[in-house]
Parts: sequence; C-alpha cells; structure tokens
Amino acid sequence: MLSDYIKRKRLLLVDDEPDLLDMVVSILKEEGYENIRTAQSVAEALKTADEFDPELAILDVMLPDGDGFGLMEKLKEKGDYPMLFLTARGEDEDKFRGFGLGADDYMVKPFLPKELLFRIAAILRRSYKEEDPLVKLSGCEIDLERAEVIKGGEHIPLTAKEFALLSALYRNAGRIVTIDALCEAAWGDNPYGYENSLMAHIRRIREKIEKNPSKPVSLVTVKGLGYKLIAERQPGIDHKV
Amino acid sequence: MKSIPKLIRRFVLILLLSIFLFLALNVGFLIFYTVGHSTNRGPWTAAQEAAESMEQTEAGYVMSEEMQAELESDNIWAVYIDNSSLKALWHSDYLPDTVPLVYTASEIASITRGYIDDCPIFTGAGEDGLMILGYPQKSFWKHMYPSWDYQMIESAPKTALTVLSANIVLVLLIYIGANTGLLRSVRPIVEGIQRLPEGEPVSLKERGILSELAFHLNKTSEMLQSQKYQLRKKDAARANWIAGVSHDIRTPLSMVMGYAAQLENSEYLREEDRKKASAIVRQSHRIKNLINDLNLASKLEYNMQPVVREEINAVALVRQAAADFINMDVDGRYPIEWETDENLTVCPICADKELIKRAVSNLIQNSMNHNEDGCTVYISVSVSQPVCPSENTEAGRKGADSNGYCVISVEDDGTGVSDEEIEKLNHAPHYMVCDTNTREQRHGLGLLIVKQIAESHEGSVEIGRSGHGGFGVKILLPLDIARKKEQNKEQNFYV
Repeated sequence: MLSDYIKRKRLLLVDDEPDLLDMVVSILKEEGYENIRTAQSVAEALKTADEFDPELAILDVMLPDGDGFGLMEKLKEKGDYPMLFLTARGEDEDKFRGFGLGADDYMVKPFLPKELLFRIAAILRRSYKEEDPLVKLSGCEIDLERAEVIKGGEHIPLTAKEFALLSALYRNAGRIVTIDALCEAAWGDNPYGYENSLMAHIRRIREKIEKNPSKPVSLVTVKGLGYKLIAERQPGIDHKV
Repeated sequence: MKSIPKLIRRFVLILLLSIFLFLALNVGFLIFYTVGHSTNRGPWTAAQEAAESMEQTEAGYVMSEEMQAELESDNIWAVYIDNSSLKALWHSDYLPDTVPLVYTASEIASITRGYIDDCPIFTGAGEDGLMILGYPQKSFWKHMYPSWDYQMIESAPKTALTVLSANIVLVLLIYIGANTGLLRSVRPIVEGIQRLPEGEPVSLKERGILSELAFHLNKTSEMLQSQKYQLRKKDAARANWIAGVSHDIRTPLSMVMGYAAQLENSEYLREEDRKKASAIVRQSHRIKNLINDLNLASKLEYNMQPVVREEINAVALVRQAAADFINMDVDGRYPIEWETDENLTVCPICADKELIKRAVSNLIQNSMNHNEDGCTVYISVSVSQPVCPSENTEAGRKGADSNGYCVISVEDDGTGVSDEEIEKLNHAPHYMVCDTNTREQRHGLGLLIVKQIAESHEGSVEIGRSGHGGFGVKILLPLDIARKKEQNKEQNFYV
C-alpha cells in the first residue's frame, strides 16, 4: 500500500488511445492514486498541464498532433517534475532519445500493471521525499538524511561508504542488489576487485543495524549474487497490512 | 592477380620457343633440301676427277670409259686442253659446235668463272692439261665474281653473333613492351573481377583492346549492385513489416494485460473466474515475449539490429540478469542458484550489454516456460582456456584464436529434452531462417535469438543436457584478454 503522501500526487496521463487511458486510470485508481488527469493530444496535454500543475507525467510517444519527445521538452520548460514514457515504440534509439531528453523512465507496451505501478511509485519516492525520512528496519531505524542509524535510542553515524551502500540497498528495498552494483555505488566507475572490501563493509553495517549481526534479518545475503535490504516500513509505502 | 603476369609470361615464352623451333626446322629443312639436290658429287670435283682420269696413250689422250659413260649420261660435254699450246688434246664425242677447240688465256679465265653458250663450265687440272666440263644449260647458276672483302669474312662470326644478339634484344624488348601493355589493360579488369565477389561496385573505363570485356564487367557489377540493393530492400521491408505489426499489437495487448491483471486481483470475482483472468495474464505475457522476440530475431537476421559493443564484465552482467529474475519471481517457484566460482570476479568480454543480457534472460525464461511446475535454474560464468593454440579446433577458433572464451551456462533440473530434440535444436534451422519445410520446426524464438546474439559476437551456443538433470545451454563468447591483463594489474595495485 502506498502512503497517502504519495497517493495524493498529481499525475498527468497522455495517450491518443482513449481505451488505454481508461485502463491505466483504472489501474492507478485501484492502487489508490487520487489526482489523475488525462489528455489525448499534445495541445490538450499542454493545456491540462497549465491548469493542473502535475507532479508526474506519463507520456505516449506517438500523438496525433506531434510526438511525446517534443511534448516532454515543452512540459520541461514549464515545470521540473518527473516524466516517464509509456509507448509502443521499443527501439533502442527511441529509448536513448527519451532518456536523453531527461525522462525518468521508459516503458514499452505491453506492460504489466504491477510493473508500471512499481516504477511510478519508485519515481515519486525518489522525487518527493516525505517529511519523515526514516527507514524502519526490524532492529533499528536509518536516517538517510543525517546518515545515521538510530538503535535503542543511540545515534550511530554511518561512514561515507556505508551510507552509499545503504542508500543503494534502500532504493531497491526488498530486491536483490548485485555485488557489482553495490561496488559501483561505493567505488564508482571501476568497481572491480572490491569484493572483499564490500564484505568487510557489509559486516560493519550489520554490526550497526542488526540485533544479532551473525544472524542478519534486515540485510540478508543472496549467495553469490548480492544483498537485499528488508525494510519494515519505507517512506512512501505503508506496511500496515 | 599474380596469375595474370604468369599467364602472359608463359604465353610469350611459348611464342618465343615456337619461333626458335620454326627457325631450327627451317634450317634443317634447307640443309636437307640442298643436300638432296646436289648430285653425287659437286661439278668441280667431277671436273677434277675427269681431268685425273685422262691417260696418255700412243694414239693420244683418252678418257676412261666409265668416266665417259658417266658424263654422257648427264649430257655433259668435255674438252681437255694442253697446258702449253692451249689446244684441245681430247674432247667428248658429244660436243656442241659453238665450243671452241683453241683457247686464249683470257678465254680460259673467263669460262672458268662463267659459261660457254649458256652452258655452265667447270674446270679441273690434269697432269699436263686442263679439263673443261660443259654442263647442260640451266643446270647450274654460277656466281661470276665470287670475291669478298677479307675483313668482312674474317669478322663474319662476330657480325653474325652481334646480329643474333641484336635480334634477341629486339625480341625481348617487344616481349616486355607487349607484356606491360597487355598487363596495363588487363590489370583494371582483373581488379574489377576481384572486387565483384566482395560486393563492391565496379566501374571501368571502356577503352583499349579490352573495352568489350570492361563493358560487360561494368554491366555485371551494375546487375549485382541492383540485386544487392533489391535484396536489402526486401530484407528491410520484411524486418520493418514485422516491427510494424508488433508495434500495432502492443497497445491492444497492453489493454488485455492490464484489465486481465485487474480482474485477476478483483475481490468481486469468484475464485475460478480469477483463475481464468490469471491465465489470460500469463498467455498475454507470452504473446508479449513472442512479439519482442520476433522483432529482435528478424532484426538480427536481417542485420538491422545495431550491435553496440563495449568492454563489459560478463560476471556482473549475468549476475544482474539473475538478480532481476529473482526480484520478479514473486512466488519463488523458480529459485536461481549462482554457481560461479567465487574467485572469478571479472570475465571481460567485448559485447553489446543489452543483447547479452537479453540472451541470458531468454535462457532463464526458456527454463521457466518449459517447467510450469517450477524448477531450479543454475547459472554460472566460467573462463575456458583454449585447448592448444596450435590445434585448429573449432573451440580454439571460437576463442578468438588463442585468448580462450567466456562460458555462460544456464541449466535447470526440470523435465529436460530428448537426444533427438537436442540434435534438432543444435542443427535444424529455425523456421525464421529456413527456406524449405517449415512445418516441423516450431520451437520458440528464444533459442534462435540466443544463437543469433552469440553469432553476432563471434561466439557460439551449445545446447544439451544439464548436469542437474534438465536442460542446459552454454553461450561461448571470445574473451577480451587485453582488458583482463590490465585489470589484473589494477587489482594487484589496489589490493
């Protein structure tokens, strides 16, 4: 379930196919999004954007009176908010063009509703931080703003590398982050040969965040592949099941 | 191109050889002819012999009867004149009236060189007289003034040699001239013919002795270019057609998938209806994969997929592909086991990141598609050293000569396939790339794409059985060894 904070975000949906608009709207509504507006052409989208001041735009590439790339450029001139493409054009050059223009994501039709929702939520979480930025784990809370762990009332600071690793894990909470991706997050462009250092850092993070570092429950190892952060509550997502 | 000068050289050599052969034959024939036409002995010798056969008897000088008979048979008349009086001592029975019987010294000098009454005269010295033989008219031709400059005769061998060598030099010059001239006009044509199979356009100047050849060559090239263009156009049209169709299917399929997914989770539907909706979701997901595969397969087949190669670490790439699948596999029916050696952290290859990831994903997806009840997927990356650089094995060639190759292996412990099917998957062409019978080649596009991707990276694919009991596929890609060495250095530096 999404937090109310995220659900209240204003979404603009642009596609020339009314049936598809209806469907995406119904998917979004079912997920709990409340503020959704749609448009079927570039002109309509620009007009709606002026009135509605969206906080996220989902754009099709092929529109009757222009293309989504041009529309994105115009929308970007008016406001700086995240945008993603949802289109039938799956060519690499289209994707590169979209990302080149500053798209936050590029999804090719046909798509799984779950995937679309996941990506929208991820973009919104990234772009609009909640007032309470605490990540709640089973044994502690992490304050990513201040780069510290709050465990039993005690504030334990994180080193730069530990912070980089935890941020990468948090962004993909619940999903495996590969060893290579973590090394890249911590050591940058040439992340080879740091596997042992990574293990050392993970050990130190566990000492800070786990109740029992030898039996980790929040930062678990996926043998050979990478690590996974299991958060009890993430900003933007309510786990009040 | 090397064969052309050789050909011309051989041709000219044959020509030269035949010239010499003809010369030798002619000389031989001439000798044979002259020898054949000369009488038993020369007229001068006959005259000498006739002179020596004169005998002095009491009745005067007499010629031996054999000699007389011989002369008569050849219609030769003879006069024997005295050395001192220059009068005839003897003459043959047959003697033309015009032949004088008394001579002056100047007459003798004249007739020795020439004729009497058109009869060629030959003389021979006897014991005390001179034998004059008169041959029938037109039986011999005589050179009246047979004298040459002494120096000329003396230098004759030298002159002959000089003339001969001058001739040889001349022939050689003609040969070189003809050869270079011919080569010059043949070279562009030969080069044109060599360019044809490489698919390059050929446009030669149509002049000189070989202009007709150049004209036809230009025509052939034009035709080939046009065929190539047509073929490319056709391929592009086919790939575009597939791309267009798959594009048009995407939006309607999105709606099918979207609504079905909603119904799948609807609280208002009965359990069995939700199951039906979830079947629609699964099947439309298959159609989605099929569209993507079809599009990529046709592009790879018709060389329309750009392959952007960069240096990448195969271990990291495959690990990411595996992690993506685990992240997506919600119900955990397809656990993935990572079996790569822990010490292998870098396996450098020069490849298109997206395509290789796609190939690995296809293999994992393939295992899932064929094991609906779930299975464990075993993934590993390893480095295979070349067997031996000197051995010209296929594996050796695949390993970029001697660098070895990166082996990406995706196996499962599922139902597996029969030997017959493995054979078919390894060798039978897919219906997309086959121009004959298409009814029996209905296996999916997933493996075809994996093969195409491997081939576009000079690699190969081995389809077989897994050590874990199910199906197994290995992708072999050439290692990018230079980078690996560099990295080892860096690692040593940092660690």
